[in-house]
Amino acid sequence: MELKIVENREIAKNTFSLKIENPALFDIKPGQFFMVRINGFNYPLLRRPFSVANFTGNYIEIIYRVVGEGTKILTDKKVGEFIDLLGPLGNGFDEIAENKKIMLVGGGIGAAPLIYLSSVLKNRHKTPYEAFFGFNSKDEIYVDFGSIATMDGSSGFDGNVVDMIEDRLNEDTFIFACGPTIMMKRLAYVCYDKGCGMKVSLESRMACGIGVCLGCVVESQNGFKKVCEDGPVFDFREIVWQAM
Amino acid sequence: MASNVNLTVKLGNLIFKNPVLTASGTFGYGVEYKKYMDLDKLGGFIVKGLSIVEKQGNKPPRIVETPSGMLNAIGLQNVGVDRFINEKLPKLKDVNSHIIANIYGTSVDEFVGIVEKLENEGLVSAYEVNVSCPNVAQGGALFGKNPDNVFELTSAVKNITDKPVIVKLTPNVDDISIIALAAQDAKADAVSLINTITGMVIDTKTKKPVLANKTGGLSGPAIYPVGVRMVYEVYEKVKIPIIGVGGIYNSGVALQYIMVGASLIEVGTANFIKPDITVEIIEGIRRYLDEENINSIGDIVGIAHI
Repeated sequence: MELKIVENREIAKNTFSLKIENPALFDIKPGQFFMVRINGFNYPLLRRPFSVANFTGNYIEIIYRVVGEGTKILTDKKVGEFIDLLGPLGNGFDEIAENKKIMLVGGGIGAAPLIYLSSVLKNRHKTPYEAFFGFNSKDEIYVDFGSIATMDGSSGFDGNVVDMIEDRLNEDTFIFACGPTIMMKRLAYVCYDKGCGMKVSLESRMACGIGVCLGCVVESQNGFKKVCEDGPVFDFREIVWQAM
Repeated sequence: MASNVNLTVKLGNLIFKNPVLTASGTFGYGVEYKKYMDLDKLGGFIVKGLSIVEKQGNKPPRIVETPSGMLNAIGLQNVGVDRFINEKLPKLKDVNSHIIANIYGTSVDEFVGIVEKLENEGLVSAYEVNVSCPNVAQGGALFGKNPDNVFELTSAVKNITDKPVIVKLTPNVDDISIIALAAQDAKADAVSLINTITGMVIDTKTKKPVLANKTGGLSGPAIYPVGVRMVYEVYEKVKIPIIGVGGIYNSGVALQYIMVGASLIEVGTANFIKPDITVEIIEGIRRYLDEENINSIGDIVGIAHI
């Protein structure tokens, strides 16, 4: 599906907001993603998976970080150009446990899907929640709500976001999380210790995004699961974290 | 105006409505693509390689992108032949296109066992035998690297079926035409080539291979000139039909394979990028023949040979 770009600008260091017109053809659940084609054949060859950071009547917003040549090329796309999207794909953050104390925990570019989740919690579920985001430094922050931790101490809590929230977790907490694998792994171990629930959105290398290439699997308690189709959101207890 | 060109291809006792198939491992069990395209438009599709029992596949990471290509080491994860018959085939009942079962084993007996299970499934039109797998009886050397092993395996499968048998060849050999001849001698109905080319990518941060399996198979547009060259070589040596595969992403590359001798072609990695790419390729081939005033696709098979 070719959709028109309505905005593509840098909103924080190496972090861009790409807004695409909403074709009004589908709903999107927080945590779902699109496979975005950067160019025609042949370079880069594969689509890139991006989660949705916002979805309004007017646009779909993707927030991406420039990490390689594909995302570098994406920054050159101009307003008015068309871009090829496949999706929305994956399961998303559903089953909101409304009787629990909800916490959103994001790290780096992983905060993006939680922005959309927060607006759905607020506007659709009318559910209270707290949000905690970790970044490397102040200049990488692209969220305008929640509590902030920075690794270099340049803004908010000095250290990583898991350290910031660890003491607040208990059996009544339910976390929705997305971030670097190493951070999600640490958070999962903390959740086991504290007895809280957690749904976590995982990242993986993907070729197709539609469940056929089998390239994106992670080890679960019941064998390999596809991040694209069985996820990207998983109950943290399903994942074999030692293998991550 | 409707086009009059004849795209049909005959292989063994089968008629394909056009020469475009999808390559095993890139099209799931067909079911997955139903929401992206009309499967009936395809000449046929080749399902994910089936083993005698379900296979979990390799540990991740399993894929890495390369310039105009990708390296994969999925490890033939599949549901196994029984679940394919019970869970996948019923969802393909209404499909009016040839379903080809790609089969994978580590011994001749395993291949024979899979074919015996599939033999009475009317929906399965033909078999594609993946010889790029380790032969346990030979200490794990690939079947496809040794003409005697390919002859023995192909003969064993041919002995128990009347459905066409296609032997899918690995390019990771000195002379692929010797292997193709062994398949022909064993009465294979066709050979398909090429499977992926073995490669490796290193992560300079970890200083280790990216893939958990260390090596993987290179596919995608980057490899098509290798495939075209090998089809050219095999066409000079064998008489059975050739199915060209490797890096096809548009009708131009598909036509190159046909011109060096492929009667049919398979589209692989490109299905990941554009799930309905095969429909574009079929239309592109039709348009080319129209523009060139060529009546039948068969007229250009092997035309690049002098």
